[in-house]
Amino acid sequence: MSPEQPDLANLQRWMHEVVVHQGTIDDAVASPAAESEIPADRLGEVILPSHSLSPAERVGVYHGMYLMRMEEAIAADYPVIKHFLGAEVFDELVRDYVVRYPSRSYTLNRLGDHLPRFLLDRPDWSLGGFLTDLARLELTMTEVFDELQSPVLSGEDLEAVPPETWETVRLEPVAALRLLSLEHVVVPHLNAFHHERPCPKPTKRPSRVAVYRRDYSVMRLELSRAEFDLLRDLIHGVPLGDALAEAMAGSDSARRQAKVFRWFRTWIREGLFQSLVTA
Amino acid sequence: MRASRILGARIHRAGRPVRTVSSMESQTQPRNKGESMTKNRWGFDDLGLGIGLRGTHYAHILSQRPEIGFFEILSENYLDTGGRPLHVLDQITERYPVVMHGVSMSIGSTDPLNFEYLAKLKALAERTGALWVSDHICWTGVLGRNTHDLLPLPYTEESLAHSVARVKTIQDYLERPLVLENPSTYLEFAASDMTEWEFVSRLAGDADCGLLFDVNNVYVSAFNHGYDPVSYIDAIPADRVCQYHLAGHTHKGTHIIDTHSDHVVDPVWELFGHTIRTIGLRAPLLEWDADIPTFDVVHEEVLKADGWRRQEVANVA
Repeated sequence: MSPEQPDLANLQRWMHEVVVHQGTIDDAVASPAAESEIPADRLGEVILPSHSLSPAERVGVYHGMYLMRMEEAIAADYPVIKHFLGAEVFDELVRDYVVRYPSRSYTLNRLGDHLPRFLLDRPDWSLGGFLTDLARLELTMTEVFDELQSPVLSGEDLEAVPPETWETVRLEPVAALRLLSLEHVVVPHLNAFHHERPCPKPTKRPSRVAVYRRDYSVMRLELSRAEFDLLRDLIHGVPLGDALAEAMAGSDSARRQAKVFRWFRTWIREGLFQSLVTA
Repeated sequence: MRASRILGARIHRAGRPVRTVSSMESQTQPRNKGESMTKNRWGFDDLGLGIGLRGTHYAHILSQRPEIGFFEILSENYLDTGGRPLHVLDQITERYPVVMHGVSMSIGSTDPLNFEYLAKLKALAERTGALWVSDHICWTGVLGRNTHDLLPLPYTEESLAHSVARVKTIQDYLERPLVLENPSTYLEFAASDMTEWEFVSRLAGDADCGLLFDVNNVYVSAFNHGYDPVSYIDAIPADRVCQYHLAGHTHKGTHIIDTHSDHVVDPVWELFGHTIRTIGLRAPLLEWDADIPTFDVVHEEVLKADGWRRQEVANVA
């Protein structure tokens, strides 16, 4: 008579624990989580051997592919982090990460959502702050990549606004626009990656970036403090008159006016707004 | 970036006419169908030769408009995006018939069904006018966690009843037949009390669902488990089969992994020939997911299927 077999739920909990275990297949089968479902010494009663593989080797095929799949998914969203750390350290990072943040979604595309926080929470990493900023930028790029497409406000649309409504008009940003205020300079690391150059040394200095999409490609625009503040106010729905007054306060009005004009020209050219909302 | 794993307008196109297949493909339609050439029970058309849509080929497809019977999309790559993948997909669905193939339904899992996922899947099917929606006979995770692998089921009465109930619920929700693919597997459970082909056939019959018959998967699993692939093919109910899959694999010596990373090997082509002789002409789809070559290489590979189809039509006529 064959030994009693586990029911379907029992079998699936066991196999899941074995597949996601970080050690060798023998460690996985003997792990407390797996043993609580099926004792290791019963493996041969649950999985049949093949003509060439033992039961452990057969379930090991699935076990061996799990981490590779997780590493590939995180690397697809964080190529610059991987470039900076190197493959070996990056793979170790992913192994630790998926223990704490295993996939709970039908899609792998959101597997890396917690990586910026995870990097910040690692006290053993002296570069945690820098890596967190770099990860925030890469994560933001994935969000912008997937955002809904919006109509784009043109220069002509802007010119058609009657002068008497300029003070109260609000600018509605496109959905695929994010602003980031960072403690480190990270854009050069993206550039180094894209040009296959070594990464520069991390620099702790405030930086600000607009991440947006143009013609379905993800773009980034480095911003000055004043430019960032004005764009942030507009995105948050501050009326144009109030936002401009704030931007012009306490400065050489002619020079600042010229700068603000240039900023607007760039923002419109890059398609950062979708419409004008009049009060 | 995110090309291989990525990712709504609620334009209902389900009723639009199917694009006419190329003249060459048209010639392979059976003119005098014998008993073995009967259609599937839903009357889904033989769409001709298909290719799995991959991001690396977007530019080529849009600019060159290759003669292809249909494209199969990886459903999950288009569920949560409003970006370029969906923009390209909208253009492709204007020109080609599309079918949807997913990896996240987890038909055999003991976790509850994910209706958030199913709602997105249904919306995408309506948007693309997908002729059918497919997934795999497998489970992908449990206790709310996902391994993102196609894990094997024990072929038991318990897992059969469990899977049948879930397929029925999903079909009711999606309001269309679900088409399920036989998986490549690397282990066998001692608890199994029926063969894989018996499980697959009974699942399709009891749940009243379709089958996506993957010939390479039969070859892979037959090697890994030491059974006769022809017995498997001969046992499959022809009227349930809506589509075929063909792909390359990686032979590790002791076992074969279904990697979709190479050309289809000759023994799989021979099994494909036996399959169309036994089951009939259905839409064959070539999958290539790793080390993806140029579109022309993939296209050339799927055109090999046409030779087998022509031969079978000639035999029947």
